[in-house]
Amino acid sequence: MTILPPYLKKGDTIGLVAPAGYMPEEKFQTCIKTLHDWGFDTELGKTPGHQFHYFAGNDKERTKDLQRMLDNKKIKAILCVRGGYGVGRIIEKLDFSKFMQHPKWLIGFSDITVLHNHIFSKCNVATLHAPMAAAFNDDGFKNEYVKSLYDALTGVKANYATPSHPFNHKGSASGILVGGNLALLSHLVGTSSDIKTRNKILFVEDTGEYIYNVDRMMCQLKRSGKLDGLKGLVVGRFSDMNDTTIPFGQTVEEVIRDIVKEYKYPVCFDFPVGHQDENYALKVGAKYTLNVKASGVTLSES
Amino acid sequence: MDRKNFLQSTIPLLATTGAFVKDQTRDLESKKFPPYLKPGATIGITCPSGHLKMEEALPCINKMEAWGFKVVPGRTIGIRDFTFAGTDEERARELQQMIDDDGIDTIMLGRGGYGAVRIIDKIDFSKFIKKPKWIIGFSDATVLHLHLNCKLGIPSIHSKMCNSFPEDESTETPEQADSIDSIRRCLLGEKMVYTAPTLQQNRIGISKGRLVGGNLSIIQMLCGSRSQIRTDDTILFIEDVGEYLYKLDGMMWNLLRSGKLNRLKGLIIGAFRIKEDDPGEEFGKSMYEIVMEKVGKFNYPVCFDFPVGHVLVNYGLKCGMMHRLEVKQDSAQLFSLQ
Repeated sequence: MTILPPYLKKGDTIGLVAPAGYMPEEKFQTCIKTLHDWGFDTELGKTPGHQFHYFAGNDKERTKDLQRMLDNKKIKAILCVRGGYGVGRIIEKLDFSKFMQHPKWLIGFSDITVLHNHIFSKCNVATLHAPMAAAFNDDGFKNEYVKSLYDALTGVKANYATPSHPFNHKGSASGILVGGNLALLSHLVGTSSDIKTRNKILFVEDTGEYIYNVDRMMCQLKRSGKLDGLKGLVVGRFSDMNDTTIPFGQTVEEVIRDIVKEYKYPVCFDFPVGHQDENYALKVGAKYTLNVKASGVTLSES
Repeated sequence: MDRKNFLQSTIPLLATTGAFVKDQTRDLESKKFPPYLKPGATIGITCPSGHLKMEEALPCINKMEAWGFKVVPGRTIGIRDFTFAGTDEERARELQQMIDDDGIDTIMLGRGGYGAVRIIDKIDFSKFIKKPKWIIGFSDATVLHLHLNCKLGIPSIHSKMCNSFPEDESTETPEQADSIDSIRRCLLGEKMVYTAPTLQQNRIGISKGRLVGGNLSIIQMLCGSRSQIRTDDTILFIEDVGEYLYKLDGMMWNLLRSGKLNRLKGLIIGAFRIKEDDPGEEFGKSMYEIVMEKVGKFNYPVCFDFPVGHVLVNYGLKCGMMHRLEVKQDSAQLFSLQ
């Protein structure tokens, strides 16, 4: 079984880091305030607000900041304020030995998928695929998706429901949940951070991709054997998709429907996880039950 | 970027089938080489990826006929299923038929785009392995190259396709014309000599190995699949188009972290038509820095700005065949040895 880090109590400290793209200070103030309102202390790393070209600091600075948070026993969870691009550049430089002695929740999504997959496959520790700092802005901190992060951190077991979709494959399955951003999953194939998907429930989401590229990446997962032995598949949101001048001729949902049509396991489409407000916290590495019925879909922690 | 010095004169060598110099070093895994062509040979054209109009194929057809070959245009030219040259079934069927047809000596692909990965597993290569023929193309055709070179051990030709032959030859630069003519020379079995610009970013060295590579996005997306690239003891070449620097960086990390850059004999960087960073999202490293950062700890020669890729001057390369890469202080050249 995967190791679940201890849940947080009031007064526990959450460390904030930016291991990938740069985020200006004003963009994470609401997040910090909300974490305080939730009863947690925060410790701001050196990278949030710091800038080195595109990145929140150079590779050394980002590595050092995240490493410090991983090693500091006082920090009970690490929230990555932003994704973007950059975790893949530093992942091999991180030392998880202290983290494994006292695991803590690591929070984020998008580029943070690299950390989720790496930590799951190398350390067998669960992480939190969940909203980051920008999601708290513009009253986002009031919505159920940001609140689902609070629930996840404090040990309330998730029980998410979403409407039925015409492409769903009905059925029920239990298994360890893995997944994240499709482009990153594709970039990790063949590396030491790659995940084994056999007997797992896989979830995928993406943003800003061309439809043909989603097709290509799903073909990659399929041809590299990552879709055969699943217990279930959760297709999240694919937002802001681009199309080529000559239209691809299918929506992303149709592309995925065709690629997985031969599989018998339950598949659900349009699950609220991805690069938009509707983005539930999911524990990568924890056990969930996926129930896909004609009347609707539930994904609940076992 | 200035791309002046390219192919120097090649020494015509009338190679006939099987007249290769067998390399004494760790030999190609190739089981069998496709025979080089003789004048009068038949070239079939098929489109396994994006759709192509017949008028777009004509300059290429005319050119190949002028070279003395017979050309058989496939039915996938001119048909269209959205972005594709027909449905997956139609494209797979025609590629299969051209692979199996004894009357077709070589297959020229119509166009890249997207679609080869959708049909590659539908193709039965059992006859092809016994009687291989040259398959010619690039970009999305990298799916075929890698499947052929790395999975089946059969060489193929990475070069311009039908849609990159100019309609009006008078507008061609000499280098462009020469790179189109290089397809003919590859097919006839000439030993090729390619010249890249001499750049201070290059890493000096001389080495010998089988040439593999193609479009970096495709190489990356085949990772983990049965068609994935195998780079040990090879000279790897990569090119790409329309990607952001950060995407290039991510793909290079994937190659490095999956062990595909450790045991190269050499690295050739073709044209990378990089998409400009969005304002405020400047990546801060050049393409040269991104590459050297990944391969800095290795010792093999590295040659930048090699004339291959989505550019006018895109030379035909015999993938899967032995080559010698010579990167020196004052020159950078690649020689085909077979």
